[in-house]
Amino acid sequence: MSWRVGIDIGGTFTDLVALADDGRLIRHKVSSTPRAPEDGLLDALRALLDEVAANEIALVAHASTIATNALLGQVHLELPRVAFVTTEGFRDVLEIGRQNRSAIYDLNVTRPKPLAKREDRLVVRERRTHEGGVIVELDRASVDRAVATIRERGITAVAVGLLHADADGEHERVVAEALREAVPDVEVSLSSEIDPQYREYERFSTTVVNAALAPIVQAYLERVARGVRAAGVQAPIFVMRSDGGMAALKSASKRPATLIESGPASGVIGAAYVGRALGIENVLSFDMGGTTAKAGTIFGGVPEISASFEAAGSTHSGRSVKGSGYPVRFPFVDLAEVSAGGGTIAWVDAAGALRVGPLSAGADPGPACYGHGDRPTVTDANVVLRRLNPRALLDGDFPIDAQRSRDAVASVAAPVGGDVERAAAGVAALVDAEMAKVLRIVSVERGHDPRDFTLLAFGGGGPLHACAVAADIGVTRVVVPPLPGVFSAYGLLAADVRVTSVRSIVAPADAETWSRARKLFDALAREGDAALGEQGVAKADRSFVRELDLRYVGQSTELVVTAPRSLEEAVEAFHRRHEQRYGFAALRDAVEIVTARVVAIGTTPKPRLAAAPAPARRAPEARALRERRDVYDGAAFTETPVYGRAQLRPGDAFDGPAVIEQYDATTYVAPSWSARIDGFGNLVMEHSR
Amino acid sequence: MNTAALDPITAELVSSALIYASEEMGIAVRDAAYSPNIKERLDHSCALFDARGRLVAQAEHIPVHLGSLPWGLRRCVAWLAERGRTIAPGEMIVVNDPYLSGTHLNDVTVIRAIYHGGRLVGYAANKAHHTDVGGAVPGSMPPDARDLFAEGAVYTPTILVRGDAVVDDTVDLLRANSRTPEARAGDLRAQIAGNNVGERRFLELIERYGIGVVEASLDKALADGERRTRAALRELPDGVVEHEDVMEDERGEPSIVLRVRLEKRGDTLALDYTGTAEQRAMPLNAVYGVTLSGVYYAVRAVTDPRIPMNDGSFAPITVHVPEGTLLNPRRPAPVSAGNVETSMRNADLVLGALAKLAPGRVPAQSGGSMNNVMIGGLDGAGRSWAFYETNGCGMGARPHADGIDGIHVHMTNTLNTPIEAIERQMPMLITAYEFDETSAGDGTFRGGSGLVRAFALREGTATASLLAERHAVRPRGADGGGDGASGAHVMVRRGGAVSDLPAKTSVAMEPGDAIIVRTAGGGGYGDPAKRDPAARERDRADGIGTAE
Repeated sequence: MSWRVGIDIGGTFTDLVALADDGRLIRHKVSSTPRAPEDGLLDALRALLDEVAANEIALVAHASTIATNALLGQVHLELPRVAFVTTEGFRDVLEIGRQNRSAIYDLNVTRPKPLAKREDRLVVRERRTHEGGVIVELDRASVDRAVATIRERGITAVAVGLLHADADGEHERVVAEALREAVPDVEVSLSSEIDPQYREYERFSTTVVNAALAPIVQAYLERVARGVRAAGVQAPIFVMRSDGGMAALKSASKRPATLIESGPASGVIGAAYVGRALGIENVLSFDMGGTTAKAGTIFGGVPEISASFEAAGSTHSGRSVKGSGYPVRFPFVDLAEVSAGGGTIAWVDAAGALRVGPLSAGADPGPACYGHGDRPTVTDANVVLRRLNPRALLDGDFPIDAQRSRDAVASVAAPVGGDVERAAAGVAALVDAEMAKVLRIVSVERGHDPRDFTLLAFGGGGPLHACAVAADIGVTRVVVPPLPGVFSAYGLLAADVRVTSVRSIVAPADAETWSRARKLFDALAREGDAALGEQGVAKADRSFVRELDLRYVGQSTELVVTAPRSLEEAVEAFHRRHEQRYGFAALRDAVEIVTARVVAIGTTPKPRLAAAPAPARRAPEARALRERRDVYDGAAFTETPVYGRAQLRPGDAFDGPAVIEQYDATTYVAPSWSARIDGFGNLVMEHSR
Repeated sequence: MNTAALDPITAELVSSALIYASEEMGIAVRDAAYSPNIKERLDHSCALFDARGRLVAQAEHIPVHLGSLPWGLRRCVAWLAERGRTIAPGEMIVVNDPYLSGTHLNDVTVIRAIYHGGRLVGYAANKAHHTDVGGAVPGSMPPDARDLFAEGAVYTPTILVRGDAVVDDTVDLLRANSRTPEARAGDLRAQIAGNNVGERRFLELIERYGIGVVEASLDKALADGERRTRAALRELPDGVVEHEDVMEDERGEPSIVLRVRLEKRGDTLALDYTGTAEQRAMPLNAVYGVTLSGVYYAVRAVTDPRIPMNDGSFAPITVHVPEGTLLNPRRPAPVSAGNVETSMRNADLVLGALAKLAPGRVPAQSGGSMNNVMIGGLDGAGRSWAFYETNGCGMGARPHADGIDGIHVHMTNTLNTPIEAIERQMPMLITAYEFDETSAGDGTFRGGSGLVRAFALREGTATASLLAERHAVRPRGADGGGDGASGAHVMVRRGGAVSDLPAKTSVAMEPGDAIIVRTAGGGGYGDPAKRDPAARERDRADGIGTAE
């Protein structure tokens, strides 16, 4: 028997899902070990090895938060001293950024600390035009000076970013050679290799982030590899990247900036996979955990990818706040995120209004009912509403104190006349509204009608709030997969190997540019092909997706057109995309081609989702009914059946209101929703108007 | 429906949905816009109003649009009413007359009236900076304008959309009066799209909750905003303070005095600008809406920035500006720089007054200018082009932290344009973009450094217009902190001849000529002798010095 293993390290838990050829599934949940995350990973792996022989494991896929945590300044993950070599006259581009501040009215606003201090930003004399022509030749003496300074300071993490190096990286390569000759153990990231696209600040930032993360991520991945091998597992190890593709350990080490949004991406990849298995093309993924809720879009079976993001930045109503973090121009599964989770705290503002978030009680002290804190959280509200089991969570493993929830919620009940139940309902309504906003961002704002989508709910809290947020945005079908609480680990098993190669073009969409683009496509495909080969992907499993970014002349942001076969087709597809996304197409306006991109994909074997014979709709067996308890249904407390998920069988069907409890999550089926278990074991809820 | 019967949670959901809707309008404008000025620099603002024209939600975009958008909306509606007109269902008007719509000619406002069942329920409006609206120089902000007409074409409220279809005649008129006509139509379409989003969300709320609940929720949001501002004002000490600041005239002399008397009593704040200089035949005049923006910005920053922006939160503040002065001029005084420069000085002025009233809450003075650069002309192939940008400066030191180097402060927050984008699109070469190493005001906490940015012309011919402040008067330090360095403009001709340029000037450029813009540094806060030696060492290693 051959097993594929996915391991996702989260803030509180490290989740493992192992899937056998025959569809058997094993899950483990162990505590995360933030100081040395690989310990948790290896704990989970060892737990698996009690049941599965090491030589039966064919693949280990891993999602890691190490890069994000390092950027967020987590202790024990100190970033190295980084030197940045740039064009003379432009030493401060990296720090000026886009010259804006992240909070307009906050007189105490801060700017993210530059990852290379000014002292360590060194300049070389050179200058190119945007077409790559040389205005000032590279002055070797200035290169030597910069290299000497770096050597003297003992800096080994170096980024090189010169103006217009996306057009020609030769000067950067000369600097790199000089560094490698003179500085032992130096690790150099070149902007012309890491992110060969125009707009200097974003390219420099991406390159410097890469250089800063390299030592930490490389050392971590080496420890992971050693540990896995020491446990006797010889299978290849892959790491999930921000774009939802996997990279072999060695490739991932070279491009640590590609791993930043590793964990969140895998949930969306899993959602896309489950959607395809169910024949659902358009899926909104809804992942609600302890501190945040994340929403992503899968349209036509493909997760929506964005070309850049701001790492370690802050968000406002689910949108990234410009200038709050470090721009990284590497594709990422485009998620909108909001501070809304089980631990999110409710409070009363100066005008006496009830509010929820963004503060979170986190894992420590956690919700009031856990027995440590006394501030009311979303979880406490759900306990008061009795949607969550008032005696214990985790299928009875984790006793809670419902009275503490009541007391905590009572402390914010003044705005609703001291009524605890009404306050709890208010907290739930407010947090649902916040989460509906991020779902709107990934659907309505991208030109999609949410009514055409199915919501896939996972994470510890997703299934509990799914009906409410779905109803808010007009979605009528919700799917809760069998293991919603470890779904991100599951998603790792559905990912392909991906290599993205990209170049700027920025020229009119005419025959000449098209022929340039086609030549570039070939070159970029060769790059991707070689990279897949290095990662052990067989020839037969390799495929290539060609993309162009286009815009109207005069615009400064682009839309992606996939797999154009001719110039006319590309331009037509662009007009259509523009119409769909922004509500109009300017058919008479001139169009330009900005970027050529090739995504090389190495297809991996996927979990086989086998549907059980589809049984007729039937009532659940009596043993599935755990109890009937009074649960708040949006207007009043009504007697509501509570089912055990493990005891529900395919074909079981019932109407809301109902509660379904399982180890890793609780699902609330709201009134006017019906629920059934499908042949794959998914819980499918439908709104019956 | 009265507010007492209103469920407070529902009210909260409605008002937060409207704030979100105003933000979504902003995204729609940005996404669909053509010109980098809106798309990359985000020089636009969006808001929703109730049927009485009261501001109910405004997205946090550009502070200078803050008070001017609601002021402008009410004036435009009143202007139409005087002529027996309204904005009918399916219509939008476009307007840029600063004396009606509230800022300067470049800021083009588009307004939609929102109807439900034939009844007016509100307005969606947005304002975006169009790079060129005609006038004497590319960028439409001629430093030597003597009246409004030199600054570009003036559009009084004009139908832009009728029966939900764009009126091509109007778009053509705007295009014909711009040096960059291609982007005009695209940007207007984006502004139309933004208002449509706002209307859709407003109507969805009405359909979901009913008009009675929505209107009651808005009343409550306005009342809450007012209550929160009053609560915040009560925390400031009572008192009367007077304060003044200066601006630099046509010859660069700091002769233009702005004066305010600020009276704080209980939970109210009254500002009286009597004593401020008369309006002038130069573009520093700021229409009343811009003056309001500066007041609201300063009060919001010093009290509680989390208070939702609506008419209620402004209600406890009264502002009297004598007509005919620099801060409330009469038509047709030119106003292009009132928006960008005078607004900055007004923010300094009000912040300075608040510092006297409540010491320890207000930073030292920042660079105090948006450092406007407009360059345009004909490229080597004879095609016309226009470029506009504003440049950051040094932020004033805070009572407990250094100022930030090279950043936009106070009344603006627009992004810079990437050098690699400029050089692709215009016949220019940016030859420097760095911190000015000797510009920060010293102090226990130092001010931020100003910027150095240099623009060289590669081909064709061009006119550069520069508009800046704080070239003669340095940004002041606070509580014993040193002043920031003043800004400067320098022309380096192709042959190498170097000359100083005035703060406000237009100058012809030939290929090979370069203009160096230095922006002012921020003032320091507190006694320099008390600066943490480690911080001083950090600056020394980083090569960041302080102003002499």
